[in-house]
Amino acid sequence: MIGEILVQLIRFILLVFVQVLVLNQIEISGPVNGFINPYLYVLFLLMLPVNINKILLLFICFITGLTIDIFSNTAGMHASACLVLGFFRPGFLHLIAPREGYETTLKLNMSGMGSSTFLIYASTLIFIHHLVLFLVEAFSFLNFFELLLRVITCSISTLLLTVLSQFLTQRNREVAK
Amino acid sequence: MRNFFVLIRKYNFFIVFLLLEGVSGLLLVRNSTYQRAAVVGTTNEFVGQMYVAYSNVTDYLILGETNRILAAENARLRKADSVSFYDPSFEVMKVNDSTGLQQYEYISARVINNSVSKVNNYITLDKGSMQGIQPEMAVMGSNGVVGIVKDVSEHFSTVLSLLHSSTKISSKIKKNNYFGSTVWDGDAPQFAKLLDIPSHAQVAVGDTIVTSSYSDYFPRDIMVGIVSQIGTSGESFKEIKVRLATDFQKLSYVYVVRNMMKTERDSLEAKTQVVQ
Repeated sequence: MIGEILVQLIRFILLVFVQVLVLNQIEISGPVNGFINPYLYVLFLLMLPVNINKILLLFICFITGLTIDIFSNTAGMHASACLVLGFFRPGFLHLIAPREGYETTLKLNMSGMGSSTFLIYASTLIFIHHLVLFLVEAFSFLNFFELLLRVITCSISTLLLTVLSQFLTQRNREVAK
Repeated sequence: MRNFFVLIRKYNFFIVFLLLEGVSGLLLVRNSTYQRAAVVGTTNEFVGQMYVAYSNVTDYLILGETNRILAAENARLRKADSVSFYDPSFEVMKVNDSTGLQQYEYISARVINNSVSKVNNYITLDKGSMQGIQPEMAVMGSNGVVGIVKDVSEHFSTVLSLLHSSTKISSKIKKNNYFGSTVWDGDAPQFAKLLDIPSHAQVAVGDTIVTSSYSDYFPRDIMVGIVSQIGTSGESFKEIKVRLATDFQKLSYVYVVRNMMKTERDSLEAKTQVVQ
């Protein structure tokens, strides 16, 4: 139990640092600027234990989002987006659950869920998170098409990084064995 | 009332969600106004420290660009710096020796332009008529002769370098006082020629050449150079190659020599010539 908490804590710190110090610094000049902003830190929320208390999940989502907000001067923006993610996560997990239900020891990652299920799970929640994030950021639907395009491209870049990180950690685990 | 608690228990997940969303919405609204929450933002002490540490690292990545910007800024500041302005201070070295009458004064000056590679080379000094420099004054460096002042403005003066085709300095062989003229042949800036030394004069490689007292401009016995090669020109004269004492390629500070009795001597000589 304590080991599990420690693993989650380390993952939290690592992802927040990567998000704040690397991914938030991405500035691509030209027309693609703003369309390739991955938010990899949501991976932490995706990989929280499957049987986590729903209320606790909401609080963790809120704190995670707030942490990113503190570092990027966007108080409340990431927090609300993460909360929506946390709100939909239990329901969506229930929706895609196998007939016999989840084992409590199941790891919510690529090797644990199977790559296709994980991709559906991750891409849907990432899309929800990004949609809320950009909606809150824009606060209006004035340029809805461009906003949607941004949501999609950013979601894809986040998903790519998520899959990449899955391969990296899997490889490490095999080497460790 | 009991039903109310049942309701809360039933929808506690949704209620907590709404509550937390309300908090983040409040933060969002407060943040968009000008007064920001000090804790939630980069003004936070810990967050600030972390960004300082971060930029300590990332600054290395843009060192090249930073250098370029700083160099440009330096150039701009240097333009405004005191060294870019004219320096009106100067010193006149004067020896008050009661046993003799002072004939020469030395005015220190800085070389601000110089060339050695042309056939006619000029030197520009940062002192001019304001400091008492006049045309035809002699210019010498710490090691020996440099040239003769040609033109003077209020703050600057140009000097005919010894490395100039029309510069001619009356010189002599120090050990036996045979005199001739030192001229530059337009070759290497390290060497000049001593002309008009009679062929019977005793000269050896390594002999010292100094200015003669016949010179209008220079005080006597100022170092010119050292004999490095001896040849002949015609029947009666020797042509002596002289290694110059002054390194013209490294010239930075010089003295302008003011002959206080030049006018007296000139007018006397002119008078004598007219009588002849």
